[in-house]
Amino acid sequence: MLVLGIESTAHTFGVGITDGKEIVANEKDTYKPKQGGIIPREAADHHYKFAPNIIKSALDKASVKLKDIDIFAFSQGPGIYSPLKVSFQISNFLSQKYKKKLIGVNHCIAHLEIARKETGFEDPVMLYVSGGNTQIITFAEGHYRVFGETQDIGVGNLLDKFGRVMGISFPAGPEIEKYASKGKRYIPLPYSIKGMDVSLSGIETFISNIKDKHSVEDLSFSLQETVFSMLIEASERALAYTEKESFVITGGVAANKRLNEMGRIMAESRGVKFKSIPMEYAGDNGAMIAYTGYLMKNEPEKDYLPKPVFRTDSVKINYR
Amino acid sequence: MEEKKLISIGAESVVYLYKDTVVKERLKKLYRIKQIDESIRKRRAKLEFSLMKRAFESGIRVPAPIKISDDGYKIYMGYLGEDRFKDNFSLKHMAELGEEVAKMHKLGIVHGDLTTANLMLKDNKLYLIDFGLGNYSNKDEDKATDIFLLRNALNTRHPKESEAAFKIFLKSYRLVYGKQFKGIETHLKDIESRRRYNESD
Repeated sequence: MLVLGIESTAHTFGVGITDGKEIVANEKDTYKPKQGGIIPREAADHHYKFAPNIIKSALDKASVKLKDIDIFAFSQGPGIYSPLKVSFQISNFLSQKYKKKLIGVNHCIAHLEIARKETGFEDPVMLYVSGGNTQIITFAEGHYRVFGETQDIGVGNLLDKFGRVMGISFPAGPEIEKYASKGKRYIPLPYSIKGMDVSLSGIETFISNIKDKHSVEDLSFSLQETVFSMLIEASERALAYTEKESFVITGGVAANKRLNEMGRIMAESRGVKFKSIPMEYAGDNGAMIAYTGYLMKNEPEKDYLPKPVFRTDSVKINYR
Repeated sequence: MEEKKLISIGAESVVYLYKDTVVKERLKKLYRIKQIDESIRKRRAKLEFSLMKRAFESGIRVPAPIKISDDGYKIYMGYLGEDRFKDNFSLKHMAELGEEVAKMHKLGIVHGDLTTANLMLKDNKLYLIDFGLGNYSNKDEDKATDIFLLRNALNTRHPKESEAAFKIFLKSYRLVYGKQFKGIETHLKDIESRRRYNESD
């Protein structure tokens, strides 16, 4: 059985193909705004423009044709409506044209499923950190449940907002990481954690008010240390609470080496297994949609619509 | 030398019994830099002790606070046994929980980590423990956050009974808290809608 999955919730248009065991293709292209943050219409235009080529190169990589595909899976949400609807429209069209099953996949759950596949961890606690998403998710009683999350903005958004304040181009994460490695002095920043939830917007305001008094290196260093400490602390609480034995970090911000180092130290101190996920599968990608679509292959046929708002814990997991 | 008897290793601290006293020691976290780690551990120990003391003196069921260690990382308190509510969960204690939480909130204390793991049973009565993330606050929003965290914990830890449990809790809370509950209720709905990707929108 072959599943073709399309991801388009935000910046990335990705196409993956899997037979359920191997990822046989994972092609993508990412929209980069000329300045500032994502412009939904431009992201959608980018996705429409690149879709034919990306789909073709995925099919070529897998040495298959569209008629060989058994299920078309798409990222149903959560996400930004304009780019989100691209994967839906294309998958819906292909499923009707080739009379094959259509499956809508929750984007956050797809991150978790590809993380389970890539790490081999059966039942991990997952810290999912991207532009718009910051969640601590694990499985309990038939659902993936969000144990902790941001009460305001996603960590990637915080990094990008800091970047804008400091004149660092989008996406700011990699540049901030470079500056942070040269920072020496810690500037105390608001450390706000409530249970397993974190609050990040206060840091942004705080930094805007003190930015002229400190170097970008020290501010980047202090920002990373503070925010990542909060995220790892919340993750540790979730691990302690659920008594799960493995921990993974995924999402675009998982590319940050310091965050991974902190995750590894925390996990090791608890006797919990830790693995990071290859960036190819940590950032948004089509393979995770294809693979989760494969897991959902026995879901009954139904009509789908894109869901910009689509909570992780609303999905009943029938395959676990 | 008397032996320390380990009670629990939590996410941020180790709790042990020494003679007849419970010692909660905040552990060094190697993943965070020293400046963050030390200031957080001391700040939290000091605040936690103060919150417990205030609650205890007002007759709220919490462990009896004894003292803070000289280094600032340990707090000493009375022993309540080891019967955790999360392992012996039952709906019959939910009204009592509503009452204790309402009394605590009226006193201007928020717990910050209200889960069934942070409740102990002793002589068939519930005790609130672990004020490690607690704070002094009279803001309706903070109180609503406490209630929201409890509901979330019920949903995740006891999904089958969570709805009934929360209903009983809230009814009793409202009764004890009185008229001003309205403000908290507004914030409860507000927190719900602010949570990202809430589908009731």
